[in-house]
Amino acid sequence: MPIRFHRLNDQKEVLVNEVGDHLVVPSGTFARLVQKELDKEGEADLYGDLVAGHFIAESPIPTLIDVLATRYRTKKSFLDNFTTLHLFVVSLRCEHTCHYCQVSRVTQDKGKFDMSRAHIDKGIDIMMQSPSPHVTMEFQGGEALLAFDNIVYAVDRTKELALLHNKTVTYVICTNLAVINEEMLNYCKENNILISSSLDGPASVHNENRKRPGKNSYELAIRGIELSRKILGKSRVSALMTTTNLSLEHPIEIVEEYYRQGFWNIFLRPISPYGFAVKNEAKNKYEMDKFLSFYKKALNRILEYNLQGEFFREDYATIILRKILTPFPVGYVDLNSPTGAVTNVVVFNYDGAVFASDESRMLAEMKDFTFQLGHLDTDSYEDLMYGEKARKIVAAGTNESLPGCSDCAYQLYCGADPIHHHATQGDMIGYRPTSTFCQRNMEIIRYLIELMDSDKKIKSIFESWVKPQF
Amino acid sequence: MTSKNRIQNGEIIASVDGSLYSSQTVFKCTYWFGDKFHVNVQQESGDYVITLRPMPNANISEGELPYYLQKLERDLVDFHLRDIVNNETGSIRELLVAKAFSNGEYDEAPPGEISDPVGFAPLV
Ligand code: SF4
Repeated sequence: MPIRFHRLNDQKEVLVNEVGDHLVVPSGTFARLVQKELDKEGEADLYGDLVAGHFIAESPIPTLIDVLATRYRTKKSFLDNFTTLHLFVVSLRCEHTCHYCQVSRVTQDKGKFDMSRAHIDKGIDIMMQSPSPHVTMEFQGGEALLAFDNIVYAVDRTKELALLHNKTVTYVICTNLAVINEEMLNYCKENNILISSSLDGPASVHNENRKRPGKNSYELAIRGIELSRKILGKSRVSALMTTTNLSLEHPIEIVEEYYRQGFWNIFLRPISPYGFAVKNEAKNKYEMDKFLSFYKKALNRILEYNLQGEFFREDYATIILRKILTPFPVGYVDLNSPTGAVTNVVVFNYDGAVFASDESRMLAEMKDFTFQLGHLDTDSYEDLMYGEKARKIVAAGTNESLPGCSDCAYQLYCGADPIHHHATQGDMIGYRPTSTFCQRNMEIIRYLIELMDSDKKIKSIFESWVKPQF
Repeated sequence: MTSKNRIQNGEIIASVDGSLYSSQTVFKCTYWFGDKFHVNVQQESGDYVITLRPMPNANISEGELPYYLQKLERDLVDFHLRDIVNNETGSIRELLVAKAFSNGEYDEAPPGEISDPVGFAPLV
């Protein structure tokens, strides 16, 4: 059967079949298998596992090929509904001056930096044309709540149109919580709006990352999380962290802060490539090594909580583990093939420009418009989603046909990120040996499989993470 | 293959038997060395001669070259094995993908069900 393999460490290697099942075996097994040296009787257990897991077949065209085809199609069925996540940048204004943020403006100029009603209308009209019966409308900034009037306008209009188009809509506001108040939260409650907040760690890390007058970003975030939970309920409020160079020195403190604040998950997001120097490959590799060491220390602390009987999940690992441990599709923009940019997410910027992803608009702020799909004033749904640019991005974002990835055992667990490769390597296809995207995913996937293989308790913890929580 | 392999003047030189190894194997393998080495592949009387010259900014010392030679030899075997699997099973992979997306062109709707022995429900 078509299988791939990767060396886990000196003693073990992992085999992965065409639908993403994996089997950890002693080093050298793949070579013996290919040379047809396995002893069916003498190694009955291994042989049985290989046949049962569709790694080898006893007849030339396995009778189960239809089942495998169904499973393959299921794995890729995140494509069925095409673009579901629609980001509306309702304002570029912000009262923070975070040093890593390339886009926001500290200004009172609503006219210039808030999204116009005409553009909100057109964005909603495009969203209603999505083939998906379920769409997500996410409000971003700047600080989205500074344009709360825009959010109310957009939600009210979408509600009406969703009824007409027979769509269900999930609403999310991304906010640093600094200006949130009861009135806003009551509106969120009435309209079932989720709050996605920002928490970078303890006060010492958060306040250093997120500068604002008064140096009280952390205090406002915690106050906002508490108020939001009180009005909306705990499960309606999540937090995202931005990883910076300072964060990398505090993995344990960050995890413990999330735990202390009562979160049952944390998303250890990779450092944005826009902090990376384009084409400085040695430095980028070094930075990614530092991130990986941060990630492992933090993950190990999270596992300690779990080993003590707590449920506390890391989200990046969970996305990958869902791909490794379940037969179901996982639609996560940065780990999809074809890439989630365009096929999963689209961004309507404050000025009406339409981008393939959130990172694409960051690039545009640096005067790189490679990933601008078009403009709400001039382009139709077809122009934006099926135009030449969209097709080029998706073609460069299909790892089955990318150099290096096409033979990689982790292909189904990984994804493709043409925007990252364009930003860091000046080329959408990218060059895997120096790609920090590849470096990160290859090591995290390897590490997760190694952890599961080395300790059955960790495997059970990981299985609990991938089960639905509600 | 190993007998002619050597480290010479700060470069790794490896000779690969062209009657056993495909050019595809050689290039897929050497692709992964391009971050640290200038890679050169030449054909000499039916064999491939691979030369890896460390890049100045890769900080590879003379003492580390034997490690990279060993890695090259091991990776060549790994990619050769992958090549064999691809050659033997490529048509099954194509059939599988074609059936998965055929919408019934290759048969009626694939009859398989997703087995879920551990009890995971579909995740949105
Ligand atoms: S990016 Fe790297 S880890 Fe991911 S599929 Fe490609 S080669 Fe494999």
